[in-house]
Amino acid sequence: MQDDEAALAADTPIAPLDLLVILRHPPHGSSWLREGVDVALVAAAFGQSVGLLFQGDGVFALVEGQRAGPLGQKGTHAQLAMLEMYDIERLWVSASALRARGLTPADLMLPVQLLEADALERLVHAQPHTLLF
Amino acid sequence: MLSYALLVHAAPYSEQGALSALRFAQAAVAQGHRVSSVFFYRDGVHNASTLMAPPQDEVHLAEGWRALAQEHGTELLVCIAASLRRGLMNAEEGVRHGREAHNLEPPFVLTGLGQLVDAMQANDRVITFAP
Amino acid sequence: MMLHLLNRSPQFDGLYWDLSEAFGADDHLLLIEDACYAALPAAAASLAAFGGRVSVLSEDAESRGLLGRLSDDVALVDMAGFVALTATFPHSLSWF
Repeated sequence: MQDDEAALAADTPIAPLDLLVILRHPPHGSSWLREGVDVALVAAAFGQSVGLLFQGDGVFALVEGQRAGPLGQKGTHAQLAMLEMYDIERLWVSASALRARGLTPADLMLPVQLLEADALERLVHAQPHTLLF
Repeated sequence: MLSYALLVHAAPYSEQGALSALRFAQAAVAQGHRVSSVFFYRDGVHNASTLMAPPQDEVHLAEGWRALAQEHGTELLVCIAASLRRGLMNAEEGVRHGREAHNLEPPFVLTGLGQLVDAMQANDRVITFAP
Repeated sequence: MMLHLLNRSPQFDGLYWDLSEAFGADDHLLLIEDACYAALPAAAASLAAFGGRVSVLSEDAESRGLLGRLSDDVALVDMAGFVALTATFPHSLSWF
């Protein structure tokens, strides 16, 4: 479905979705990620086409091997594992954010499309509605 | 004239974001725009507390929001899931959860995230104010 | 055409980097709240990616004692100007 390794080519068209949610926060340390994904899931449940862009520390949301924390702190990995059930299949990741953190797509729990800055800019500008968490 | 929805993540008084949002809303209506709704999410839900009691020489944020609703018909939508987690509930939820008190009253309305999704579709602009 | 709203000081350099990735040639950046500190000449490097298409909210700069200290490259807008920018640009995105 998606190319795990190569970044999106400069001339690949990016179709607008109903909603793009940009996730910039890591799991566990705050509820930004959880409450951002909640918005994406609700929008999808309402029949909207939704995509997620992971930027900055948001890329840590996708790291393989996460688990619940002490005191029942749920984290977000289970929530992200449900994305496909909600037809949220377009997952974009900032290539520079991944590189800066020493990660590759092989470290991630879901297939993603890497975006270099020029493609990331085009993605954001193609969307009618974007929320950042 | 445009219609605006505001999304407020910022807690009252802890961060400037809630104040910025109210200032923006007042400036928008002063220019003839419509602020159809303000959606309070995350720690922004505390803006809706009936029990907010700031010192008299500080702006009263909840009163500012209420005035916006009364004078300009702005809907004050408060995320119910974010609210209940953080201990904010209206009379109906108070009863449902067996509590003797409640701290959220009209014009603030507890609602779901679906209303945020609707507000994004229904308005010309969505502006987020965060901590 | 997109208006980007930024409210954190330049010490959040990861945030400024993420914003720069999404910033387009016809976009504009409005500095509000603690992002006003980015409008100081000493912080010019933090705004280098935004090509001079940057404004700062005057009331936030004034309350922080920054009027008269701001870089000439950054335009001052008042709260009415903030609203006007959101009306001019069809999309706004807040970074925090």
